[in-house]
Amino acid sequence: MQALDREDEGTRSRGRGRPRGSETASGSVIEILNLVRTGQATTRQEIERVGEFGRAIVADRLALLTELGLVDESELGAATGGRAPRLVRFAADRGRVLVATLDQTALGVGIADLSGRLLMEHHEPVDLTEPAAAILDRVTSLFDWILSRQSGPGAAPWAVSLSVPAPVAEAGGTFLTETPPILPGWEGTFFVETLVRRYGAPVWMRSSVETMTMGELHGGAGIGCTAMLFVKVGKRIGAGLVCDGRLWRGAMGAAGLIGQLPVQTGERTGTLDALAGSEMIAREGQAAAEEGRSTLLADLHRRHGALSAAEVSQAAQMGDRTAMEILSQSGRLIGHVVATLANALNPEIIVLSGSVAQSNDILLAAVREAVYGASHPLVTRDLRIVRSQMSSSAGLVGAAMVAVEGLFAPPMLKDWVLQGRPMAHPGFAALRDRLEDPPPAPAKPAAPRNDRT
Amino acid sequence: MSIAGLGPHGERASPPQRVALAPADIDAARKKGFRVAIVMHTLESDFARQQLQGLAGTLGDCGTAVIEVVDCGFSPEAQIAALDRVLHEAPDAVISLPVANAAVAAAHARLSAAGISLVLLDNVPTGLLPGKDYVALVSADNSGLGRIAAELLAPHLSKGAEIGVLGYDADFFATNERELAFGRWMRRERPDVTLRTARFGSIRVAGETALSLWTAHPSLAGLFVVWDTPGREALSALARHGWSGPVATIDLGRDVAASLARGGPVVAVAAQQPHYQGVIAAQTAILAMLGQLTPDWVALPGVPVTRANVAESFQTVWRRPAPPEVLTALLPSRREKK
Repeated sequence: MQALDREDEGTRSRGRGRPRGSETASGSVIEILNLVRTGQATTRQEIERVGEFGRAIVADRLALLTELGLVDESELGAATGGRAPRLVRFAADRGRVLVATLDQTALGVGIADLSGRLLMEHHEPVDLTEPAAAILDRVTSLFDWILSRQSGPGAAPWAVSLSVPAPVAEAGGTFLTETPPILPGWEGTFFVETLVRRYGAPVWMRSSVETMTMGELHGGAGIGCTAMLFVKVGKRIGAGLVCDGRLWRGAMGAAGLIGQLPVQTGERTGTLDALAGSEMIAREGQAAAEEGRSTLLADLHRRHGALSAAEVSQAAQMGDRTAMEILSQSGRLIGHVVATLANALNPEIIVLSGSVAQSNDILLAAVREAVYGASHPLVTRDLRIVRSQMSSSAGLVGAAMVAVEGLFAPPMLKDWVLQGRPMAHPGFAALRDRLEDPPPAPAKPAAPRNDRT
Repeated sequence: MSIAGLGPHGERASPPQRVALAPADIDAARKKGFRVAIVMHTLESDFARQQLQGLAGTLGDCGTAVIEVVDCGFSPEAQIAALDRVLHEAPDAVISLPVANAAVAAAHARLSAAGISLVLLDNVPTGLLPGKDYVALVSADNSGLGRIAAELLAPHLSKGAEIGVLGYDADFFATNERELAFGRWMRRERPDVTLRTARFGSIRVAGETALSLWTAHPSLAGLFVVWDTPGREALSALARHGWSGPVATIDLGRDVAASLARGGPVVAVAAQQPHYQGVIAAQTAILAMLGQLTPDWVALPGVPVTRANVAESFQTVWRRPAPPEVLTALLPSRREKK
């Protein structure tokens, strides 16, 4: 990372020592960059029209953005009668975003360009009850491995984004300056500080449900939707809400914690997590195997010594009646809760995700039945209820989008755009300077929380 | 044996039994008379030939014609051209082993967009999604293969040993998983062992890459190569220059089996089951063409092979008896056992 440091010094000193005429007009620079980045404008004429800028302003700002390496005008577009216009493209290859998803049983890592497009990904099982330091060590090992496979001038990380299995309460809209409380037992493990020190890039963090919702919205079934409901079915059941094309986080980043809602099935009452989550599915499957109610489940149980929700789910897909009933019961309970949300949000699409939801049709069918049966006809008239096709890639794509939106959000962008790299952001430079000091001593563990998603 | 790894998008593995064909499926497929094209990375290896046998035999049993078999010679350009040509023949399904990542992604996606069922072998180009861009991935448990290789090599390494890892310098799901799993096991179980990694861009340069790695780290006391064909090149180059040490690799090629039987330098192999993999891929394609839901990822467990079980493992993997050089080399130890 020494080369990065030297480059940072260069851009910082250039930013301080050579004020530009355009600095007084950084608002238009930001607006034009974001018009190009989001594809709202692809030629100078479109920028003038969509952004309502004069030709001279557009020419000046594009010259500056080209000099900064953030846009590229080397390609020609299709001619529509006269001379072919120059295409204005965002230089998505200028930097990279390192992304990781931490789930109850899996760790995923990847690298994306500045458009959020995943270039490489890897997933492996992980035990989240392992010490947090060991998990952080594995994340950095895999990031190092991925970076060792990158080459070229745009291979340096511009951001790191993590998806974690708990809500992330965050006060500000920019990058993190310290590790927020994540999970009980993880206190004193400095995820954010370690990543900033190691990769010299700002860090973002969101809950896994939020990143998966973002991923589905930008790269999956939700592309182009303005109202979407995303439901992740795992040990915990959580929902992601998209309103007006944007993720709704709520006041404390805790929107969509539907797993805490009380539900009832037969004589039993409990939370949705407890009565419909993957632990219940595994437990019911195990009981059926032990009581001889299912030959297939008993066989799987005998061979593996235990049953997972994924195995019960696969048995259901293979036609095992007992497993199908377990999945149907879970689906009906989830469906009733989701129907309430659907009536409140009126989404265009509901996307079910998680290994249980994705490996069979039974849960999907039960959710559909419950939602259609309990919703206003207008809510369900054009409603689509589908399984996610992205699996855990949704979390990686979404984490990349969180960082990209953070990097290019006007309040953040205004402080680095004229230096050409987010590492020159004064707040981030100050954070790096602060972290140059020895790491703080581990804090005392806080009281355990029960809000994993 | 359980599956150690996760799929290319973090999917949980489905067992091969999940795509078993019922007699009614076979009858239905025979009535439909499906047409399938097979696009392989190469046809030059034992592995590819066995996989093809499994594919062609199973498809034949289901009355499905293989209308074309393409050898891409590990070339992305050749694969793109082949896929585009196959597209015009409008087969019901294509079974393909993508030789690269981003370079061949669009060409594969065009097949699905045209309504052709696409079953992938071993690799998924980044960005392609199951259910949308392809039907299913059928592969070995590559993470498990890397772990098996590490477990079997570890007893041959002295404390504090420095060993080489020869990876493949392409973004390829199978070889990435093997390299990462090998490293992860060593880091956890043998933290005293130092890994020195180098990657070859093609089989042709695997020997040079191994020599460069040895030159940079003269005390290398062992080697892991992510599959056997480049492993053979690496071993040959290293042996010519006087290096010796225990070697672990993936796939039980004939040369590797003979080396195992002789007692080295190859001491550990984690083997795939290419014939079985071909059978399972063909079954997956049949189910997809019949419109049935198939799992996103079907994974086959690896076979751990040492000198002690090389003859019977060869039979398991290749569906034929071990070659004479293997059996002859094992004769002394078999006599001792008796």
